[in-house]
Amino acid sequence: MIKILIVDDEKPICDLIDLNLSAAGYRCISVQDGLIAIDKIEAEIFDLILLDIMLPGADGYDVMEYVRPLGIPVIFITAKHEVRDRVKGLKLGADDYLVKPFDVVELVARVEAVLRRYNKADQLMSVGDVVVDVEARRVTKAGYPIDLTNKEFGLLLLFIRNKNVALFRETLYEKVWEGEYYGDSRTLDLHVQRLRRKLGWEHCLVAVYKVGYRLEV
Amino acid sequence: MRFSFKLLLWTVILLAMALGFSGFYLVNYVFETSLNREIGQALDENSILGFALETAALNVPAKYDVLQDNTVEEIASNLERGGQSGSRLLRISDEAKKILYVSEGFPSDEALLQRITAGTKTYRVILQEETYYVQTGVSIDFLDRILYLETMKEVTEVFQERMMGFSLYRKVTVFILAVGTGIMYFIASWLTKPIRLLTRATKRMAEGEYSYRAKKLSSDELGQLTVDFNDMAAVLEENIGRLEEEIEAREEFMAAFAHELKTPLTAIIGYADILRSHRLDGEKSLMCANYIYTEGKRLETMSFRLLDIMVAGHKKVQLRQLPAEAFFSYLENVFSKQSEIKFTIQYENGIVWAEESLIKTVLVNLVDNACKASEPGNRIELIGERQKDGYRFVVRDYGIGISEEEQKKIIKPFYMVDKSRSRSRNGAGLGLALCTGILELHQTKLEIESVPGEGSCFGFFLPDLEKEERDEE
Repeated sequence: MIKILIVDDEKPICDLIDLNLSAAGYRCISVQDGLIAIDKIEAEIFDLILLDIMLPGADGYDVMEYVRPLGIPVIFITAKHEVRDRVKGLKLGADDYLVKPFDVVELVARVEAVLRRYNKADQLMSVGDVVVDVEARRVTKAGYPIDLTNKEFGLLLLFIRNKNVALFRETLYEKVWEGEYYGDSRTLDLHVQRLRRKLGWEHCLVAVYKVGYRLEV
Repeated sequence: MRFSFKLLLWTVILLAMALGFSGFYLVNYVFETSLNREIGQALDENSILGFALETAALNVPAKYDVLQDNTVEEIASNLERGGQSGSRLLRISDEAKKILYVSEGFPSDEALLQRITAGTKTYRVILQEETYYVQTGVSIDFLDRILYLETMKEVTEVFQERMMGFSLYRKVTVFILAVGTGIMYFIASWLTKPIRLLTRATKRMAEGEYSYRAKKLSSDELGQLTVDFNDMAAVLEENIGRLEEEIEAREEFMAAFAHELKTPLTAIIGYADILRSHRLDGEKSLMCANYIYTEGKRLETMSFRLLDIMVAGHKKVQLRQLPAEAFFSYLENVFSKQSEIKFTIQYENGIVWAEESLIKTVLVNLVDNACKASEPGNRIELIGERQKDGYRFVVRDYGIGISEEEQKKIIKPFYMVDKSRSRSRNGAGLGLALCTGILELHQTKLEIESVPGEGSCFGFFLPDLEKEERDEE
């Protein structure tokens, strides 16, 4: 199981990330102090570190200096959104950057992307008899390949990454179509219906009243 | 055109005119004097010649008592040859102004002859073949005859001298003008140097280099102007510096504010999102709801504190006389619920000049900070001292203390010495910023003494206004 260390001086934020990543199937440990974080890194092996910059004890940059030789991927999480700060973090060897306030869906996606880059995430994701190869962009159901359009593939990835999570129509629309959701689009419903039919998910891809859709496994 | 160039140009024009007029006058004066002298000599010579003619005529044995024309001719030709340097030029005419004898080369013009009257001498200056002459004429009255004698005297030299004078003077004038222009150029640029320096200073300042100052060169009006300009620049620099500092402080505040705002917002949005998307068990949903509540509370505290600061910043304080007792009984009342911390209150009675609610806010904030810094069971001292010209409040705790480095930062908005500790007690990091703001309104400041590990002491002094007020009346 993938083990993730969360370092943020705000307990509520730690718990928030913990909750979401745990739901996505990761094991999380959170600490609120830079020095304690270094102790933890020394004692255990982590697959990924989510690191805040403003920390008591030792700040995020100091922790980063310590982590870099170990080759553990790091995503910075901070309220500082200036380019200067972002560049500094990335130059120190961070793999990605997340600015507060962040979207939970985005957090999960970025964590997965970084893990995949380090070949730590499974190349293949599966739900029931549906197997998705993200890199190859290939989907099979019970061994038979299934053709999906770009948008359908995007929707499928979102659902698989957020199993049992009610995804709001606007979130789906924003992430897949990358545009502003105006609330009256039938496009989304049409695509979801086609996805259901192609994968035979009539029962597990359920519509949530007044919210959107949820993949139930 | 540049000022120094104008100065130079006008000086040179004036110099040229002065030199021209004076030179012309001088050369002409010399010329006229010499010409007059030459004319005098010519007239004298003419008279002498007249006498000579008379004497010669008397000595000629006369057949008649009348002087014969041919005799005159003879004498004249003798006289003509008798000149010391070569021949004389003369002309003799009779009563009817008919020419009796004329030397070779004598001008044929008879204008002067016609002007000669009996008993007078007359002359004129004529130019003949590039040679100047003084032509003199006199009437000689003897032996019943009136003869007119005219002589010529060359005066070319005088005219040549005038020409030479002019040409010499022209050279001198050109030389003086050249030298004068050179000297004047340096004088003009020396005189206008302060202006140039000032111009450079204004340009530099316009480019944003506010610390640039013009150099003072003289103690005249321009020097005074430079001094005044520099004074103005100093005031400007100070004002701009203050404005920049203010802007920087404001930007810092905004950055800190944005940061402080983002953390609770992230938590609230994130937990709300979890609540609406996931099917959580009771315990987890309770935790989410609780986080939303506490982070919301945090935002509320922060917004109220910010409001306080803004109100304090715009409020015009009305200081009133209040008994010190009022403040301490108020504090006692507010903090009596705190059972974990022992309060020792020790104050002298006296009058305090203050805005009641604002100073109470300051005291509550200081005591609140002291509580946050203290461990359960610690002691906090509230001290009030009546001093000669004011009243001093002191809040002392025996808690964690603040390092010297952090003492400078703690009055900045949103700064917290121990974030997690402060957060857990609902701190926003704005209390001391508010206190300094209020104390500034009271024209005093917060004094901080602290040793890490031993405790801190926050104090402020409220001066009496009585005296000043009486002065105003």
